[in-house]
Amino acid sequence: MKPLHRHLPASRLLLACVAAAFVFALLIPAERVYTQAAQGAGQKQVWPPKLEEPAAGEVEVLPVRGQVSVIIGAGGNVTVQTGEQGILLVDTGIASMSDKVWAAVQRIAPPRKPLRYVINTTEHPEHTGGNAVIAGKGETVPLRDANYTAGPQGTIQYNRASVVAHQNVLNRMSAPTGQKSPTPPDSWPDNTYAIDQKRFYFNDEPVVMMNLPGNTDGNTVVFFRKSDVISTGDLIDLTRYPQIDLKAGGSIQAFVTSLNKLIDLCVPESHGAGGTLIVPGHGRIADHAEVAYYRDMLYIVRDRIQDMIDKGMTLAQVKAARPTRDYDGRYGSTTGAWTTDMFVEAAFASLSKK
Amino acid sequence: MNSSRIVLRLSFVVLAVTVAAGHTILAQADLAGLWRPQPRNQDGSGMIGDYAGVPVSPAGRWRAETWSPDDYDLAEYACRPHAWDYSLEGPLSQMRVWSDVDHATQKVIAYHGHLNQQEQETTIWMDGRPHPPANALFTWSGFTTGAWEGDVLVTTTTHLKETYIRRSGLMRSDRSIVRSRWRRMGDYLQITSILYDPVLMAEPYIRTTMTWVEDPTLVVAPYPCEEATEVAVPRGEVRHFLPGQSLLPGLNPNLTDRFNTPYEARLGGPETMYPEYIAKMKTFPKREGLKRGDLGRGGGGGGGN
Repeated sequence: MKPLHRHLPASRLLLACVAAAFVFALLIPAERVYTQAAQGAGQKQVWPPKLEEPAAGEVEVLPVRGQVSVIIGAGGNVTVQTGEQGILLVDTGIASMSDKVWAAVQRIAPPRKPLRYVINTTEHPEHTGGNAVIAGKGETVPLRDANYTAGPQGTIQYNRASVVAHQNVLNRMSAPTGQKSPTPPDSWPDNTYAIDQKRFYFNDEPVVMMNLPGNTDGNTVVFFRKSDVISTGDLIDLTRYPQIDLKAGGSIQAFVTSLNKLIDLCVPESHGAGGTLIVPGHGRIADHAEVAYYRDMLYIVRDRIQDMIDKGMTLAQVKAARPTRDYDGRYGSTTGAWTTDMFVEAAFASLSKK
Repeated sequence: MNSSRIVLRLSFVVLAVTVAAGHTILAQADLAGLWRPQPRNQDGSGMIGDYAGVPVSPAGRWRAETWSPDDYDLAEYACRPHAWDYSLEGPLSQMRVWSDVDHATQKVIAYHGHLNQQEQETTIWMDGRPHPPANALFTWSGFTTGAWEGDVLVTTTTHLKETYIRRSGLMRSDRSIVRSRWRRMGDYLQITSILYDPVLMAEPYIRTTMTWVEDPTLVVAPYPCEEATEVAVPRGEVRHFLPGQSLLPGLNPNLTDRFNTPYEARLGGPETMYPEYIAKMKTFPKREGLKRGDLGRGGGGGGGN
């Protein structure tokens, strides 16, 4: 048998050599690429991605910034500020979640630091339901000697955290002497304000409470100035349309006005986002951009409904025209405690009041 | 068949197998580098208010019809950037990509990307970490993880803020998830972006026009933005059109542009994405065309970005 190469003309031999060279050339970058393989390469991504939320009846704790965290899953969000002086909570969630909330607070707080303050953003039960149990686990710094009885400070309970709120919140949670109050006395605020703002210095930062009406005329937002975090209560609800409590002085106009004030408080870090962080009454942590979008939504819906009212349309006609239709997929609901219909009815009523 | 032909054919078989195998070995091409965008149709070459080819849902169309160009003169939006997924196909998409490599294993933990337009950045986590909880902060660029599928890096982005997908009112909601496919072919990079938005889109919106060429001489300039405090629209005011009152030319059935896209098609929707819609478009009545400049810059076309 003759050797194969004797049958091959020079051009074909050359072709075979080129092919071999090509093979080697391919192997060189292959080595380079191997070293750049990803961690966990080969694992499939889950589609669609699952984003974890607290299971029903459970809470989760997310750090916000600085000494501020949020507890989510207790009905309304609970903002927690902790430091050397103790613990401050904004809202307490629904009553049935009090133990879970308190356990979460204990996980966040430094050991042996007392709960000093609870600030209520509104009187609604998803924000004040845990007042009695949770405030009862705290203590108030005495303003006077324990035996001092003259003057108003003599009535403060020192074995309970001070519950701070706008005066209108206390008015609606309590009742005149001799009448039955809507909530038990041990859940009432004991430290109120009736002007634009109240403030104190706690845990090495200014804590500024501002009355920004929306749901009611007693809404409070709480600005932690050093942490640069604002806890807004239900002035922002990223899970649904805002609940407008007409009987308690709420209105869609008040929402727009207060959200504009809130935007002025937020300083974005870069390109319209980041910077001042927002803990809404319900839903995820947010920032300047979300406040602006939420304001836009209410501003636009307000203008649409106002235009329909100006044209003489009835509530039924306004509802049939669906002035919220482009936002319903995001904020709307046909079931639950606060539906799209209820929101439109409340907006219509507040705009018809003039 | 003589032996020389057998050898020749064997050579080709070996070559083909080697190329195929080599391609597989090459699957995880490094994406790091400086990437210069190739000229392309910057999505939305028609009239302002022309949504043809975009699978908007009825809610998405209503939202877009509400939009006023004055939106850009709100102080809150003066520094709002093109979000990462939109900026990829928009202007000024010069891009730097670099990687974090684990020293011990020399494996890529993450790719980082920086786009020139308003300095948008992304991180593609390659180490299998989960996405953050649903209640964590959302950003313009979101949170992204990636995994290789053959020679394609497939990335999944969640935690995206609501923002525009065109600068003429088309929005995506904060329920959106973006899946992107990054493919490097030699010195060229191609990215396909698929937007899943259950609120403002009726079907996934696929964008495929984005290609770059690696250019080691590329300069990525800074693009800072300082919040505007004195703007044309008074602070606290939101400009928008009430239903049926939009002045956008694309929404006026009596106008058309140099492309003669029919009004019915300009309303967008899933149907308008598919090739067979072209035949349907030809059945729509034709309107008087606008001359370039009739409605100001962009009115006669080129107003998408």
